[in-house]
Amino acid sequence: MASLPQIAIPGQRLGSLSSYSAGPGTHVQESFIYASIAGPVIADPAQPKIQPKPTLRVSRVISPKDLQPQNASTSDAAKPKPRYNTLPAIESNVLARVTRVQKRQAIVSILVVLDESEHLTSSQTASDNDNIASILTSAANPENHSGTDDLRFQALIRKEDVRAVEKDRVVMDEMFRVGDIVRGSVISLGDQSSYYITTARNDLGVVMARSEAGNMMFPISWKEMRDPVTGAGEPRKVARPF
Amino acid sequence: MASTAASAPAVPSLNLPPSQFARLQPHAYLLAHLSPPSASTQPSVRANGRAASQFRVTSANAGSLTHTNGSAVVRIGDTAAVCGVRAELLHTADIASWSVSNASDEEADSATQKGASQNADDDRNQVQDLHLLVPNLSLSTGCAPGLTPGAPPSTLAQSLSHEILSLLHTTNLVKADDLRIWYQPPNLESEEFRNAAEGMEVDSEQNGGPEPEIKAFWVLYIDIMIISWAGNAFDAAWSSVLAALRDTKLPKAWWDADNETILCSDDIADARKLSLRGLPISSSFCSFEADAAAGWRAVVIPSPEELKSQGQKEGSQQRWILADPDGYEEGLCEERALIVVDNEDGKTVILKMDKLGGWGMDSDDLRQLVDVSAERWQEMKQILDQC
Amino acid sequence: MADRRRINGPPGGTRPPVYASLQESTTGAAQRAQRQRQPAELRKIFLQTGMIPTASGSSYLEFEPSASLAAARANPKSLIPPSSALKVACTVHGPKPLPRSAAFSPNLVLTTHVKYAPFAARKRRGHIRDASERDLGVHLETALRGAIIAERWPKSGLEITLTIIEAEDDRWWGDAPDSHDASWGLMNVLAGCITAASAAIADAHIDCLDLVSGGVAALVSDESNSASSIPRLMLDVDPAEHRSILSACVVAYMPARDEITEIWLKGDSSRAALEKGDDRSSHEALIDGAVDAARGANTVLSEAVRESITRSIAQA
Repeated sequence: MASLPQIAIPGQRLGSLSSYSAGPGTHVQESFIYASIAGPVIADPAQPKIQPKPTLRVSRVISPKDLQPQNASTSDAAKPKPRYNTLPAIESNVLARVTRVQKRQAIVSILVVLDESEHLTSSQTASDNDNIASILTSAANPENHSGTDDLRFQALIRKEDVRAVEKDRVVMDEMFRVGDIVRGSVISLGDQSSYYITTARNDLGVVMARSEAGNMMFPISWKEMRDPVTGAGEPRKVARPF
Repeated sequence: MASTAASAPAVPSLNLPPSQFARLQPHAYLLAHLSPPSASTQPSVRANGRAASQFRVTSANAGSLTHTNGSAVVRIGDTAAVCGVRAELLHTADIASWSVSNASDEEADSATQKGASQNADDDRNQVQDLHLLVPNLSLSTGCAPGLTPGAPPSTLAQSLSHEILSLLHTTNLVKADDLRIWYQPPNLESEEFRNAAEGMEVDSEQNGGPEPEIKAFWVLYIDIMIISWAGNAFDAAWSSVLAALRDTKLPKAWWDADNETILCSDDIADARKLSLRGLPISSSFCSFEADAAAGWRAVVIPSPEELKSQGQKEGSQQRWILADPDGYEEGLCEERALIVVDNEDGKTVILKMDKLGGWGMDSDDLRQLVDVSAERWQEMKQILDQC
Repeated sequence: MADRRRINGPPGGTRPPVYASLQESTTGAAQRAQRQRQPAELRKIFLQTGMIPTASGSSYLEFEPSASLAAARANPKSLIPPSSALKVACTVHGPKPLPRSAAFSPNLVLTTHVKYAPFAARKRRGHIRDASERDLGVHLETALRGAIIAERWPKSGLEITLTIIEAEDDRWWGDAPDSHDASWGLMNVLAGCITAASAAIADAHIDCLDLVSGGVAALVSDESNSASSIPRLMLDVDPAEHRSILSACVVAYMPARDEITEIWLKGDSSRAALEKGDDRSSHEALIDGAVDAARGANTVLSEAVRESITRSIAQA
């Protein structure tokens, strides 16, 4: 095996298909693996049965940890599925803001695609767009900018995907309100405009909400949140707090 | 404030990394930075690490563009503006109303010798009436997400262009006389006059030879491209205009009677710089309010009495006035202020004061902002002098 | 019709200044710019990525001023610049959702947009995109589309915007446009745009087959009597430095794969003086020359991309 470069740029030859398999951030041409993005090169060790050859990938995330192969491999062994890009994919968890509640569905706009590895190595921030410096440069408050929602991926939560039990008794108004922040899981890439997401799991649902009075509420049960100032409760499909 | 108290503890329970918190709860994120828990010794700083009245690092660079009479690049933090000044000629023959207004202008010109203030007023009229300054700002450069390139100027771009134009006019920055191209007709009474009508009007009853006349004006096309937009586009745009105008050199131009046209000399030694009036520096501010729910509640404009009593009740920890807001902060603030100051012999002169979008800032605040702007003037003067 | 959304100048219009020295051009007061480089020697390129943080990816590219321009800058005498050097800023936004009206796309949809600043060229440009700018956009899109792995980004769009802050000349300013004349400067601009956009796309971490770069080669003739002279092949020509350009070619080239994603050849390439024993046809030689120029640009491009990734690792 030839030694791997530490950093690759697009078009750089990384290794042969006979000794590696191609992972995210790479592509294959004529039995060689080439980098397709710029970043640190990581070889994930072979896993018996599933993956006989080590997988080569170019990391989208730049963290000092990735440069030490041993560390990276431990965290990645448990990683469920390699992601090829930073777009929402099936089974990725997202945080989204509710923009519209209708009788049969709620429309949300996706703010953050959560990286799976994050729960395992909680110290590090995730994808490209999570660079604080770049967040701070652009307008923050989506409510003030009608244009911003056009820049975010839209998703639907259909009535039947809100919760796992008593599906027929779901009233959308009692599940979500406009402005709530919801954690959901992508179930389908959907049609040309929207992704479909589900909140039918205990850890999914509303994570942040304001009461009618405008105060941040805290969860008191799986279906209710309370305003700490007025003491009034409001119904929601609440995500189990960590 | 209750809402503050409630939002603060809600945060750690979710255990979000700061980047996600910044995205999901921008208001609470900025608030948490500005009002650290009283127990800790952390000072109140903005999310970008600046103090409330601190401007971003600013740099300016002039004269690097080949095809301009004057140019400048100004960076304020991550906001960058490129300004190019192009001079073209407006022949008085092309001005529809010229022959009519001509007479009054000549009167004005003789009056100019008397008072400087009147001089400035006349300048403004001529510069403004003849559209001699043409600033246009473009945001369609991909400088921020969501602005479609190729689309006509957005409302914001239009309003910024107009704000720059009106500031150019009210500050009288450019002297009309710098833009005039005079012609002294030869004293050959009867012979050489091609333009009989003009000749008669100007000339016939003069005894000391013909009066000099204005044959053309320079028109300055001032184009500003915002290359990177991370908040406070106006300050960057205005400073780039200022720096570019300070860099602008106009070629020597004269009326060529034989060709009946204006000719210019390309010799750089003949060209002269504009002599600008003063150095007006703009400073932008925005006011961040601690009440996160303000945007959610119905807006009731309080009466002055109510305001007074409120002020006493809730103390001062309600809002922060942030200098030179970045894009993130601009999105979270409703109330803005713009102050343009100059410094004449060590005395600060206010040239423009704009405050809109709320009623939080009072006259004391504005007074303080003028002081901050005066400090900014010193800083900007140094930067512009070096570029 | 006046554009109501912009500030318009005097209603009667204005005229660009006319220099007296041009009128008495017989004396040839101004020296024609001369190429100081070897035929295969390229101008230096300055390329930096990531200075526009509001964009997913960005780059700034600048060509080294040619010898005459550098001399004029160091020791200014005339207000008429002898030539000019490309300056381009590029931003990439996305991947972002497609507009609501767009049809489903399993691939990344590219939009390219090239706009000259009004002060970019010798003649003041309009605010509204003209045909040549649209043309550039289309050529650029073809060049990039071949390099991007579009199927990795379903349902999303990528918006690439280039702002030309300073363009290249089409000819020496003292020459009247002649019959051979085409907008040769446009080709240099396209080559610069390709390289700049490629850097910005890499900065945005969009999957690419390779870093695609642009290069220009041209057949030029420097004798005053162009009919009798034999044109020579030169790389990276600055049109201001040559008496006439007969033919020019831009390519977008991916060196790792030895593939061309875009080729644009203009003019008459039938006559060229190639070295003895060189039996290529002259348009082949022209394309090969452009590829060589693109290879040169690619070394700068890879260095800039590598440097930016190293820099961000150092910061992490």
